[in-house]
Order: sequence, then C-alpha cells, then structure tokens
Amino acid sequence: MDLSKFKISIIFLLIFLLSMSSVAATCNIIIITDPTGQDPNGAAAGSMSFADNMFQSTFLMSKENQFVVLSGGTGSSDTRLDSIVAAVASLENNASAASAASIASSYKGARLVVGGPSIGAAIGGSFDAYVITVDEATDEIKVTPYNSGVATLPPGQKGAIIHLRNTDGNPLYGTADTVRKETAINIGKMIRDGYPATTILSEAMGEVANDSGEKYGGGGVNLVSGISTGDMFTPKDMNETGYPMNEEYSKVCDDCGWGVGYPTAEGYDTCPVCGGSLRIVYAYEALGSALTVSPNSVSVSVYGSDKSGLASTTKEIVEAAVSKYGYDASAIASAINRGIDNGILMGVDHVEPKDINVKQGSKAVGVYYNALPGDRSSPPWDLPVDGNILNILGSIQTAVGIILILLVVFRSRLLKSFQNR
Amino acid sequence: MFIKIRRDTLIILLLAFMLIVCGRLITYVAYASSDEMSDGVPISGIIVKGNDIVPTDTIRSNVMQAGFRDGSVIYGDILKTSKREVSLQDAIQTAQEFAKQSTVPGTSIMPITAADVQVDKNTGVVTVTVIEDFSSVELENSTWG
Repeated sequence: MDLSKFKISIIFLLIFLLSMSSVAATCNIIIITDPTGQDPNGAAAGSMSFADNMFQSTFLMSKENQFVVLSGGTGSSDTRLDSIVAAVASLENNASAASAASIASSYKGARLVVGGPSIGAAIGGSFDAYVITVDEATDEIKVTPYNSGVATLPPGQKGAIIHLRNTDGNPLYGTADTVRKETAINIGKMIRDGYPATTILSEAMGEVANDSGEKYGGGGVNLVSGISTGDMFTPKDMNETGYPMNEEYSKVCDDCGWGVGYPTAEGYDTCPVCGGSLRIVYAYEALGSALTVSPNSVSVSVYGSDKSGLASTTKEIVEAAVSKYGYDASAIASAINRGIDNGILMGVDHVEPKDINVKQGSKAVGVYYNALPGDRSSPPWDLPVDGNILNILGSIQTAVGIILILLVVFRSRLLKSFQNR
Repeated sequence: MFIKIRRDTLIILLLAFMLIVCGRLITYVAYASSDEMSDGVPISGIIVKGNDIVPTDTIRSNVMQAGFRDGSVIYGDILKTSKREVSLQDAIQTAQEFAKQSTVPGTSIMPITAADVQVDKNTGVVTVTVIEDFSSVELENSTWG
C-alpha cells in the first residue's frame, strides 16, 4: 500500500520535473570591453543551452538604443515572455540595467541578463553567475560569484557577466560550476589583454560548449554595430535544438576565400577553385566572424531591388571603391556602373551620384537602385538609331534569308517550270 | 561528296544563312536598345523602416505574403500576383495587417502596433514604416516550448 503511494508520488515528481525543464537557456554571456562605444566590436552578448527552442527571443537586441536582453530560466514560456516584454519596455523608457534585470525576480523561475555599452550590465532572477571586472588603470581582474538578487556591472566599467547552469539530461551534467569559473577567469584575462568583445564571446562560447555540453545555439549579438547572428544557429522548428556551437560549421579556403557549409562540406578535402587546403570553421568561430566588424568595413544598404545576389555584390563593389577612393558618392556610382556594364550586377539600371547616400561618420553607404522592367538583365543600349527601325530591318533581313533558302532548295524545279512556259 | 551540289548554290545558301543571323542579331539589338516599359510596374523591392527588435526579414516576408513580392506587377490600381488579382488598396490594407502580425522569432510577441505601407506606382518600391512598442504588448496564453 505504502509502496504504491510512493510510486505514484515518484511519477508525479518525474512529470513535474519534465515540465519544469521545458525551456531553459542555461548559458548567458555579456561582455563589454569598450564602455565608450568607440570600438565597433566593444560590446557583445550571447545565449545557448542544451535545451530546445533557443530562438532569437533568448538574445534580443535593440539596434537603436544599443541594449540586449538575454533570457532563460526554468519557468513556463509565458511568464518568461512576459518578463522579456516588461524588460524591453522598461529599457526603452531609459531604465537602468539593474532595474530592468530586477524585473525577472517578479516572474517565477525567470532570468534576465540585460546590458549595453553605455548602460553597463546586470543579471536578475534565478541565476548562478560570475561578474568579471577589469580595472583599466591597474589591469586587475576581479571575478565575483553571485546567485541571488541583482548582480551588476556598473556603467563605464570594462567587464563581463557569465551565467551557466547544466540542463537535466546533459551528459556532462555537473560540470557547470567548474566551467563557469574557468570561463570567467579566461574572459577576464582576454579583456585585460585587449581582445575585442566579439572575439572573447566566440572563445567563451566555444569553451562552454566543449566543456559543459550546453552547446546548442542560440546565437549572439554585437551591440555597438547592431549585428545579430539571427537564425544562423537557432532551431528550424519548435521543440528542436539549434546548431551545436562546438561542431564544424563550414570549410573555407584561406587562399582564395572559397567556402562551403556543412553537410555539403564533408565531401570536400581540398579547394575546388585553387586546390589549396581547407580550414574547418567551428560554429563558435563562425559566430565570432559573423559578429566581428573589421575597422575598414562599410555597412552597405541596398534599396529598390530584391534580386538575389545584388546586395552582396554591391557590398563588395562599394567596399572596394571606398578603400580606393574614400567616401565619394560619384566614385562609388561609377564603380557600380562599371559593375553593371561588365555584367557583374544584373537587372538594375545605371545609378547616379544622387542615388548613393553616403554617411562617412557611421561608415554607412545606401544605394538606391532602379530595377529594370521585365526580365531584362542589363540597361538599354544607347544607339543613335531608333529601336523600332532596327526591329523592322532585322525582321526583313530574316525573311529575305529564309526566302533565299527556299529559292535555292527548289532552284532546279523553279528553273524548269520557267523554261516550260 | 555524298550530295551533288553546285558551288553557286552553296554560296547562295551561305549568304542566306548570314542574312538570317544578321537579321536576328539586329532584332536583338533593337530589343536591347529599346527603353520602353512593359505594361505594368513590377514590384522591385521592400524597404522596412522603424523596426528595432523585430528583424527586418520577418516584416518583409509578411508583407510579401500580402502580394508585394517578386513577380507581382502593378497595373494602374490593380496588383496582379502569381495567385490572384486584387485592388492595390486592398493589398496595401492586407499588407498593413500582416506587418502588424510580425512576431519576435520563435515567440508570439507582436510588438508592432502600427504599420504604414506606401507603394510607389512608378518604381514599384514598397516602403513599410512600422511603430514598435513593447509597453503595449498583449500576450496570448499560448504554449511555447
């Protein structure tokens, strides 16, 4: 009798545990290496987990206000979403990071990590975190553990916050405590050594994914430049895991820049273009390179046409033109027009300097295209003769040619019939 | 030679062949140099403004669902898509509704409170301006995850 009651209570406990662990982003990292916002890679954040459903809601970024909301915890999805919405709303109203993070404690089981280059960072709700600070003058690294209330990285301070817990069912369960500490120390050392935040985030996520098994993306954001990995690593469907951050993501050739993603990459050992050896890019490295902005890169926006490949090719052309001639609208326009004439850019009309919007201060170039009608691939030719005349001429010539062939084929018969007459 | 053919026949055949090729070429040049527009104005692109946290791609694909996608053509006040013909006004209304349904990926959060869709009838450019407001989000009690 007692035994069966015991069994039933065990089953209920199991069901309870299963429903508890439905959503749990178990690794949240935010790193600020340049609180002034000058370095385009100076602030980064990311989330990943062993659990399902690591969609972009676990690493939401505001490009305009430069803040990020990382979330997680064991609560139900609805309370978690409620807490995210409340935190975003308060941050949009210029709340401090600490007060936005403290919202999490009023939702059962939720956790929020918020921050930005100018507002610092904070973690609230249910967490096990280390706050890492690096003193700019003395290069002293401080790593402090917190697990309740609200832990903050004050505004203007170089540092990071890392939260890590193991999800139930993870084969590496129990490693979280040591990995959290070691990763925190490594983050501190890299901040001290002057690495940009995006690089540190990529390395830290690689270390966490390898050592603690909380590896499914998720993704990350570059707060200063407003870049998100978007759905690069997030799951495709509900109740699935995302891309494992410690596994191969693509192969690239360092000599010629050719690259291919997995699983297609498995078939390639050498570069099919130049025959060089291929380098394997792991997912956490891909995250780092997707978020990292090189100092001479230009953000290019393309308007007026959604044709495939147009935006990426335009970006290449504009970057080359900017590095050669600087931020000069007419030089960029002539470079683009050369691309159109050479057939590199298809389906758009020539641009004029007024179609190029250059903002040197924010390293941004906008290109406004005019799409060509129909299936045309290149702009109309500028000929002195009217198109209609040419059209008629061409048709007459074709007709004359065909008649000539007919005459030749039936030549002997035609000649005979004339002679007979 | 298997076929008995006179030399002048061959020359005339060659001449005819060249005439046809030149004729076709000239017709192509006529097409390439003509700048007349086709009847309708094709949808050339969607510009999304005003969004911050909701990804641009989400809003763009929702507006495409309303008919403003590659392959759709505007004839005056009519939008002809690959599936049906609708009046441009109706399509704009639908696009505004669909833009408001844009969610944060993987969730049911719909933070877009207002959307305005403008269509340039000359260039085919669709401009979507949205207002994002997280303080007025209402959450349905749907299960997620």
